[in-house]
Amino acid sequence: MLLYNLRLAWKSVRRYPVLSALILLGIALGVGVSTTFITAYHVLARDPVPGKSESLYYVRMNSWGAADDPFLRTRTPPPLITWRDALELLKSRIPVRGTATFGARLTVFPPGGASPLRQRGRLVTTDFFPMFAAPFRYGGPWSREADAQGATVTVISSALNDRLFGGADSVGRTIRVEKAELRIVGVLAPWRPRVRAYAPLSDPLAAPEALFLPLALTASMEMRPAEMQMDWRNPAPGEEKLPYASRLMINEVLFMELWAELPDAAAVRAYKSFLNAYVAEQKKLGRFPHPADVRVTSLLDLLDEWKVVPPQTKALAAISLLFLVVAALNLIGLFLGKFLARASTVGVRRALGASRWMIFAQHLVECELMGLAGGCLGVLLSLAGLAVLNRVYGDGPDGVPFFQLDLPMLLAAVALSLLAGAIAGLYPAWRICAIPPARHLKSQ
Amino acid sequence: MEFGPIFRSLLRNRARVILIVAEVALTLAIVANCLGLILDTRAKLARPSGFDDEHLIAIYSNPFDDRLRDPKLLNQLVDQDRRALAAVAGVRAVSETGLRPWESSGSRTSVRVPGTHDEPVPTQAAQADPGLFDALGLPIVQGRDFTEAEYDHGADAPADEVQPVVVSRALADQLYPSGDAIGKAIAIADESERFTIVGIVDRFYNPFGEASEKIMLSPGRSAGFDFGAHYLVRTQGNPGPLLPQLEKALLSVDKGRLVRLRTVIEDRDEYHGRDRLLVASLDAVMALLVLVTALGIVGLTSFSVAERQRQIGTRRALGADRLAIVRHFLLENWMVTSFGVVLGVLLAYGLNFGIVTWVAGAKLSPATVATGALALWAIGLGASLGPALRGSRVPPAIATRNV
Amino acid sequence: MPMLKMDDVSKIYRTGLVETRALRDFSLEVDEGEFVTITGPSGSGKTTFLNVSGLLDAFEQGKYWLDGMDVSRLSDREMSRVRNEKIGFIFQGFNLLPDLDVFDNVDVPLRYRRLPARERKARIEKAIAMVGLSSRLRHLPSQLSGGQQQRVAIARVLAGDPKLILADEPTGNLDSAMAREIMEILEQVNEAGTTIIMVTHNPEHAARAHRQLHIADGRLVDFERITPFPLNRVERLEPASRQVAG
Repeated sequence: MLLYNLRLAWKSVRRYPVLSALILLGIALGVGVSTTFITAYHVLARDPVPGKSESLYYVRMNSWGAADDPFLRTRTPPPLITWRDALELLKSRIPVRGTATFGARLTVFPPGGASPLRQRGRLVTTDFFPMFAAPFRYGGPWSREADAQGATVTVISSALNDRLFGGADSVGRTIRVEKAELRIVGVLAPWRPRVRAYAPLSDPLAAPEALFLPLALTASMEMRPAEMQMDWRNPAPGEEKLPYASRLMINEVLFMELWAELPDAAAVRAYKSFLNAYVAEQKKLGRFPHPADVRVTSLLDLLDEWKVVPPQTKALAAISLLFLVVAALNLIGLFLGKFLARASTVGVRRALGASRWMIFAQHLVECELMGLAGGCLGVLLSLAGLAVLNRVYGDGPDGVPFFQLDLPMLLAAVALSLLAGAIAGLYPAWRICAIPPARHLKSQ
Repeated sequence: MEFGPIFRSLLRNRARVILIVAEVALTLAIVANCLGLILDTRAKLARPSGFDDEHLIAIYSNPFDDRLRDPKLLNQLVDQDRRALAAVAGVRAVSETGLRPWESSGSRTSVRVPGTHDEPVPTQAAQADPGLFDALGLPIVQGRDFTEAEYDHGADAPADEVQPVVVSRALADQLYPSGDAIGKAIAIADESERFTIVGIVDRFYNPFGEASEKIMLSPGRSAGFDFGAHYLVRTQGNPGPLLPQLEKALLSVDKGRLVRLRTVIEDRDEYHGRDRLLVASLDAVMALLVLVTALGIVGLTSFSVAERQRQIGTRRALGADRLAIVRHFLLENWMVTSFGVVLGVLLAYGLNFGIVTWVAGAKLSPATVATGALALWAIGLGASLGPALRGSRVPPAIATRNV
Repeated sequence: MPMLKMDDVSKIYRTGLVETRALRDFSLEVDEGEFVTITGPSGSGKTTFLNVSGLLDAFEQGKYWLDGMDVSRLSDREMSRVRNEKIGFIFQGFNLLPDLDVFDNVDVPLRYRRLPARERKARIEKAIAMVGLSSRLRHLPSQLSGGQQQRVAIARVLAGDPKLILADEPTGNLDSAMAREIMEILEQVNEAGTTIIMVTHNPEHAARAHRQLHIADGRLVDFERITPFPLNRVERLEPASRQVAG
């Protein structure tokens, strides 16, 4: 019967080609537009570190010292912490993993004397890689000992590895970065998280950095932060003459992101009281003059608080869903007209023994056929739409497009088109099957 | 006119009426909100920086040669660079400055009138050489420019020395509302540094943080080994073709560095990229939506005309002329559309409330809603015109036809 | 056992405040194998009677047995099944499905009966052969003359092998030659044992039936039994030679 109904649907499509094309176009536009913008939203809003984000926490506290504290007005602590606090807090054993990190600009000297490259780099501790699920192609993270000793090692991105070594396994080779010779211990696989979850403050939608270096190299390599930094303290006379390492320890520049992996609520509580104790201790030393405002914020809450997903994306997704509703309303009208124009043939079929349900099924099959066909066309439209979006958001350096139609979204698009077909078809199919069979038999 | 009979006949075709009303109302709600977003974003996109963007080039010079870690050598290099850049044919002005037009980066601070406890005013801050104002095409409308001596001295000046600054009109007016800011004092909010306002520039706009119209420019060198030097070059003509020559000029001064050149237009386009995309997306959604709705109205009206061929024939037989038939259908559609438009205005405000509350955005202006309502009205009438004309061509004889 | 038995059936149409009794306490018995014609002025209730007896329309009061089965209060599904298996309709306007060819049109009721493909094919070809249109299997209705279209409609009925045929002015849209042809086919089908009830305006056609009924104001007014036709008065049908040009 399904096959017969499909054949009837096909005949009906051929009988009303213009109307059918309009219906198809309507579904395709509705599904295409909504799939495009819902995908954009879905890509930006989905969990950036699946399976881990529940246990990743960001640490903030108010170490601002000046009389004018801009953060008292906003009622939030500063978004970043100082070097000395980060180093001290990293020593806590309450988190199962922890990392403190900042972004830097690095000059990389390719082996063989080609002209140097300016690259974005990030100083991290080894826990960074498992915490943010960085995928490795060759090698792996450096050891905790390397972190402790400030070993001259590095992990590079797949794009940089392609550029410097033609994509070959470069683990064990050495590259010069700034003044230091660094041994490559790991090469990442192509990695393009939609949100740079570990540094959501500055350009969160940018691609990950090209190089990762042990945080302990900061002092010896005199690494300067290249992303946001805040300062309220004027250096004392002669302070500039001190070695960089000492200056790091006495300045109050806020430039570090501190992340802790806390497995459960008990650990969060324990860590919070540890932080409060730390602040209390620092207050005794004359730091932290403002009310202690220690925040331990989960990754997802932080992304929410900092509005990392552009709010317009959400508005567009909502508007595009409404678009689908209008398209479906439109289809109701078109289907209704198409079906009612055929009311007499339905009368004949009823007279010949088709039950109401059979007529209903016949028409619903037609709607779903149009829904599916329109949906396929809509998916093609949305691929084109996403290609346009990608031209602006930019493909990652690893060649991974920013917005991709993944399998869940593809299934959602198919479901959406079936749903549109059903929603648009239910009422007209019901109307047509509810017509008393005798009404249209007399005159044609 | 025949309002009564048409209204009663509409009541008997409820499905069709509800469909058109819902479609028109939803479309109006969406279109009005899209329009609001588009107008807001367009206004943001159209906002001029007050600089000669079209003729500006931003240059980054990042030294890697350890020789250049010596600040004295670096300063010499900067002066040589400025001269070399200025000597390239087609260059109108050159400046070494930390100010980065359209890059959403720079430095910020809070200032206030010294000795008061006014709320600190957030402002952008940058160091510059005296060439900056000529390079930006940003005239000093009151007061004076920096001197070369102030620039040389600026970076090394002790913190307790009062420095001259040029500020934007927006900052000057906020600190000194009576308009007599020249010669007045200004201080970092914690009063660790003090300045004297020596000049004022008009029309400053550089989107960065919360203070896009406020800037405090002080004389001084901002180049260093770690962050390199940043130059702005203003050209006489199209800046694009000059890029290779400028790069060559810099590298001929010293090769121990990386040089990156970009036109400011490129930076501006990049800054506007996502907003432009938003506008384009909204434009597309709006156009397609209106198309879909118009098609829907055409379809529904066509069906209603087809369904009532006999009725039309009867009317014609009873003496209605073609115009009367067209008028009948237009009137009917006008009533339905009007109903949808009224409902749509309410929905538009409802949707806007939702967007403002849960997403972000500005409140709808009545003018926008009115524009959308008028447009939908016109579309509703326009879309029903075709089917109505077709209806008017139904021959009266159809009334007497039996089969 | 009568093929059709109605006891005091009433059918009321309501439009707004006006109530129209289309059938009033209508009672009728039609025996198996009978050929009954119904005449009456327009609006008298002829079509309502056909709709009710064909289970196309529900009725308010009374009882109705079809082929010994009480069909007074059936669900839509049950009614559809009875229509499909026991009743065949022939209409004045033919009511062929315009986008289906001859073969597919005849196929429609068999589809709803969910017969296997082979049996459907056999029945369709046999029925079309009986009305002499075997050479036009793949023609669309619009490519056929009115008489041919009505023959397709009859083939559609025959393929379903119904017990009762309800014909609503089957010759009303045809010229007299074609009309005669259709009447001859119907009589032949009746010969084979199928009960036929036919509404007609044509007194000549009405007179050819076993029994003539007259309806006025929703009631039977005449109840005159006439003798059945002797067999030899029916002309034999030669399907192959009966094609009408055009």
